Amino acid sequence: MAVLIDATRQAIHDEIQRTVDCPGTITKPQLRAVVDAIDSWVDSNAASFNTSIPLPQRTSLNVKQKSALLMWVVNKRYEVS
Amino acid sequence: MATTRAILTPQSAEYPTSNYPQYLVVNSRPCLGFDATTAETCYWTFVVPQGFTGTMTAVISYMMASATTGGVAFDIGVEAVTSGDATDLDAGTSFDTVNTGTDAAVPGTAGYMEQISVTLTNQDSAAAADYIRVSLKRDPANATDTATGDAYVLALEIRDAA
Repeated sequence: MAVLIDATRQAIHDEIQRTVDCPGTITKPQLRAVVDAIDSWVDSNAASFNTSIPLPQRTSLNVKQKSALLMWVVNKRYEVS
Repeated sequence: MATTRAILTPQSAEYPTSNYPQYLVVNSRPCLGFDATTAETCYWTFVVPQGFTGTMTAVISYMMASATTGGVAFDIGVEAVTSGDATDLDAGTSFDTVNTGTDAAVPGTAGYMEQISVTLTNQDSAAAADYIRVSLKRDPANATDTATGDAYVLALEIRDAA
């Protein structure tokens, strides 16, 4: 999977500012740079993430399921931080 | 010495059908929340008082919802209608070119209030007794508008040169 398109990255940038997670200590351009960097990192490390999933689950789960599980884990880590 | 001609509050704001600021009450203070990425506009209406003279100045009192760095930019427009003007009020608008005001550095603590003074060079030839509308819009596309999150407008004061 390639990096997100510009419009999607911009949507993340716009929508997070309408939530309680809006970061106030950085500017909008800086926020966009963070979104871009995280998306690029996810894309660059997709293979590594996939490898981290044990077999046979790695082959029986599809990409969407793996992404959903990643979201759940990250979200729970967010909730406790 | 300037004279205050109108004090415009969030409670008396008027809204277009789309892209308008959200009316909020923050810590018991009414305010208008202007989005950081979508240009939102609201209006106020009043009659230009007798004794009005010269160029108007608008003073925006605002605070940031969460930002402690960056800047904000607002556009203020004026539509002044004199008795007998050929302006069809039930079919359109006739705002003058907007006047832009910026604050390149929002308060370092979210919730602290600052004021932006905007000279209304383009005031649609406003004169005493005119039916007047003032528009206020945050301009996210302005290069100075870099602060994240909502800008909460607490009040808009209109002064003249009298």
